[in-house]
Amino acid sequence: MTGKGAKPREKASGTSEHIQMDALAYSSRMLHWPPLGKLLLVISVLVVNIMTDSVITAFAVMALGLILMAYSTNMRIPFILGVFIAEAILILIIACGIISINGDTSQPCIWSADFLWMDFYMTSDSFNEAWLVMIRAIAGITMMMAFATSTPIPHLAQALRQIRIPDEICEIVVLIYRYAFLLLERLDTMWSAASSRLGFSGFRRTMRTTASIAVGIFTSSMNLADKAQVSLECRGYRGYFPIWNRPKKAGVGWVAIAVVTFVLLYILGTHTEGVIDFAGIVFGV
Amino acid sequence: MDFEYIIEARDLTYSYEKKDGAPMSLKGVSLGIKPGIRTVILGANGAGKSTLFYHFNGVFKPKSGEVLYRGIPLCYDKEILYQLREDIAVVVQNPDEQIFSSTVEEDVAFGPMNRNLPPDVVESRIRDSLFKVGMEEFRNRPTTQLSYGQKKRVAIAGALAMEPKVLILDEPTAGLDPQMSQEVMELVDQMCMTGTTVIISTHDVDLAYAWADEIHVLRLGHLVYSGKPEEFFEDRDSVALSGLSLPHTFSINHSLEAIRGLPDAPYPRTNSQLLAKLAPSDSDFGRIRIVPVSQDSQIDTDGDVVGVYGFEAKKLFRDRGISADINFNAIEGCCLSAMQGHDTTIYCDQELAATIRYRIGILTMFGHVPEVV
Amino acid sequence: MSDGTIETVDLTYWYSGNDWASLDDVSIKIRKGVKTVILGANGAGKSTLFYHFNGVFKPSAGSVSFNGEVISYRRKALRALRSKVSVVLQNPDDQIFGQTVEEDVAYGPTNLGLDDDEIESRVSRALRLVGLDDLRDRNTLKLSYGQRKRLALAGALAMEPEVLIMDEPTAGLDPQMALELMELAEQLHHSGTTVVISTHDVDLAYAWADEIHVLRRGELIYSGRSEEFYSDPIRVYTTGVMQPSMFLINKSLCDMRGQPEAPYPRTETQLISKMASGPKGRFLIMPVSDRLDKYMVDAAVDEVGGDLAIGLYGAVTRSMLFDSMLPVNYVFDGFESCMSECLMGRDSLLLCDADCVDLILAKMERLKDFGTVVEFKVLDDPHSGSA
Repeated sequence: MTGKGAKPREKASGTSEHIQMDALAYSSRMLHWPPLGKLLLVISVLVVNIMTDSVITAFAVMALGLILMAYSTNMRIPFILGVFIAEAILILIIACGIISINGDTSQPCIWSADFLWMDFYMTSDSFNEAWLVMIRAIAGITMMMAFATSTPIPHLAQALRQIRIPDEICEIVVLIYRYAFLLLERLDTMWSAASSRLGFSGFRRTMRTTASIAVGIFTSSMNLADKAQVSLECRGYRGYFPIWNRPKKAGVGWVAIAVVTFVLLYILGTHTEGVIDFAGIVFGV
Repeated sequence: MDFEYIIEARDLTYSYEKKDGAPMSLKGVSLGIKPGIRTVILGANGAGKSTLFYHFNGVFKPKSGEVLYRGIPLCYDKEILYQLREDIAVVVQNPDEQIFSSTVEEDVAFGPMNRNLPPDVVESRIRDSLFKVGMEEFRNRPTTQLSYGQKKRVAIAGALAMEPKVLILDEPTAGLDPQMSQEVMELVDQMCMTGTTVIISTHDVDLAYAWADEIHVLRLGHLVYSGKPEEFFEDRDSVALSGLSLPHTFSINHSLEAIRGLPDAPYPRTNSQLLAKLAPSDSDFGRIRIVPVSQDSQIDTDGDVVGVYGFEAKKLFRDRGISADINFNAIEGCCLSAMQGHDTTIYCDQELAATIRYRIGILTMFGHVPEVV
Repeated sequence: MSDGTIETVDLTYWYSGNDWASLDDVSIKIRKGVKTVILGANGAGKSTLFYHFNGVFKPSAGSVSFNGEVISYRRKALRALRSKVSVVLQNPDDQIFGQTVEEDVAYGPTNLGLDDDEIESRVSRALRLVGLDDLRDRNTLKLSYGQRKRLALAGALAMEPEVLIMDEPTAGLDPQMALELMELAEQLHHSGTTVVISTHDVDLAYAWADEIHVLRRGELIYSGRSEEFYSDPIRVYTTGVMQPSMFLINKSLCDMRGQPEAPYPRTETQLISKMASGPKGRFLIMPVSDRLDKYMVDAAVDEVGGDLAIGLYGAVTRSMLFDSMLPVNYVFDGFESCMSECLMGRDSLLLCDADCVDLILAKMERLKDFGTVVEFKVLDDPHSGSA
């Protein structure tokens, strides 16, 4: 077989968003960092993000997340991630709007309104709280995205294994991951086939078609399971999935990094609580 | 140990209805697979081909009758079955059904790891088998991002990593484009030449006729023929009843010889053999040069058409950045090229030279052929 | 020359997230009533291309037009387009959406919003054409692979398309099923449907196509007659395919014998006609109306006064075989097989669907280019007179 099997433009299986996330993770520059280390870091940062009430910490976390993501994707944050984040921000703005207009009525009001039966009452505290929640949440999302774009699911499963989650669960995670792609690909094909046969013209037909596709996917997953069982036996399966290339163990270094980051951010948070008064900036209160 | 057949089935009977209602059955099948012989199990969809080969590696247990491996009846004890499946590897038609791991390397390691081999052995197995299928650079790639042809190669590498004595392939060329099919068949061919017994299960009559030394034909669970392929295809009614058709080389040869009033034999199985038979005796052929190469050989193409055959030879070409004219199926390709009047050189692995010379030599049975030097 | 039915201009398509184009500046013209093949290795962009033909994919750049009008991606226009351009996928399970055979064939016409009578007549016609009318009420899960494949085709035919696109029509089929399906494709072509086959199987492509369009990694590198494409080995090689056997044998033999390569044989009988000739048998053609029995064979035996080889052509005729208990030699690939018998000097009888006679005569006409003139006669069905 010739070495020129590497055809960069050959279509890999499937094209949906999940597959893109996966491709992103596998091409990440942080792929070879120990997954457990990454997990520890992300968790500690997320915890400190919630523990402190400082918007500065939230900004710091967001910055950290963005830097990691930029490094991980080699500064090519793809379009799809932008869409994800934009979507998240949109939802958050709405949610925060609701928080901010449900202020404690015993405090001085900076803006209020009556709309139908609802009574909106915004205080400077409620406004600041809403901002904090929003920045925090965005920071959390960027951090998690940084993790998701650098750690493929199988690596995550291996990290889970290292923290003594039972092997069976980790294997199920990996297998689901493996088969999810096959089924997604099939979903794509069936979807195109159905639209070729006008299956999506009108609400009722769309419902019927969707149901048929679901049935099709279900049957094919059953068939796949049957066949995979036989192939497993053919390949000498003995009841567990062996692992050849174990991921790097997260050493003391990683624990130290996680702890130090945690402490630094915590200290930063306690010293900067309430430094920025958004309500003051926006409403001049 | 003395045995005539590496795998033998005696009066094998099995019946089972799949979830989709398709019956899978075998009715009194008795056959023997000779070691080192290129064997094809031929039959239409649903004839029982896969049911049969899953009996060979003990995944299915017969209702009655028995399966013998190296002359010893199979015993359906777990540990013994594990041993058996190390010796008899199966590559199923759809690679997605047998790739379980998330990266190429991990998947190839699956078999050897199941045997609890020491790490250095596993490592060398991974390297060897990926080398043979030409997927070394893909070692750390996630399996979900491979194309169909690449997945197929990984599936084959997974089987090779077991270093099986018998390799069973189900429809090895299905869904592959022509070049990829040739690559896979060449790989299979080399496995044969280096001592593995290869069994192919297929409904592709052209493939079966060109490749097999011996065929076993199944029809609705019954074994209807065992023996040389040409004898089976002589019996047109049986071919039709089995849901098959005549291979092209067979029927072209048959019609042309009938018109010329000559017997069908000798039966050409490949295009080059057919052409050798039909070529006028004054045809102007090129000569074929067989050059065994090793890692430090000089390659001097001399203006010839260049073919390359074998893992080592291909690696050599790849490393030196030389491109050959005929990369796939080079034995057949070089014969054809010489017959079209071009001087042709075929570079091959040291150990394959004799076999290649023999294979090209078969042509002389058919008539006027190019000279081999 | 016939008009273009589907035409693309500088069609480019990017899958979102990929940094390369799956189709790159493809300008292709599918001509009406021409047997067309889109050829390319796996991943060359064949299916991406044909999904543009029926508007499932929308080009990133460039345009697609159908019968001279650039297609619009409005809902209504798309509906009209997809009823005229049907796709049959490689794996039938991807496009079977009904519980029963009948229900699945009706799926397309129902979605088209046709009235019940029309749907019923389309379903019956499509099922009869693919030879599945006995299995109307069968559960689709209980069909064999070959039957599912024909069902998928029936589903597409029920849309009564002007253009039928078949993706790898013979993949995974037994040899006989494959012959049967290609025979059907030929009948459809003959009845005026433009049949486009997308495949990497060069032998199939060579035997079928009047015109091929070759894709290589998303680029269209050739449009035109097959022979020209295959005569450049390097181009064939870099496309990821091989030269078809028939082409190779003809070329090598002609080189050796100093004969011109043209005319290019595409089928075995054409090759044999070109390469050898001897005394030929008579070729009898008998259209079958609604019954198949031994009186018909007797009529033919009387005609030639002796033994003959019997072959069938067409799904309708074939579906009558079981009840007739006739001793037929060639149930599949009847024309080719009977014709080779003739070339070898034996008389033969081809029983065929009534609407296939012209098609068979056209095939015989083509054989004349290769030097074969067979004495033939179209016999009347003895029943048609009595009935």
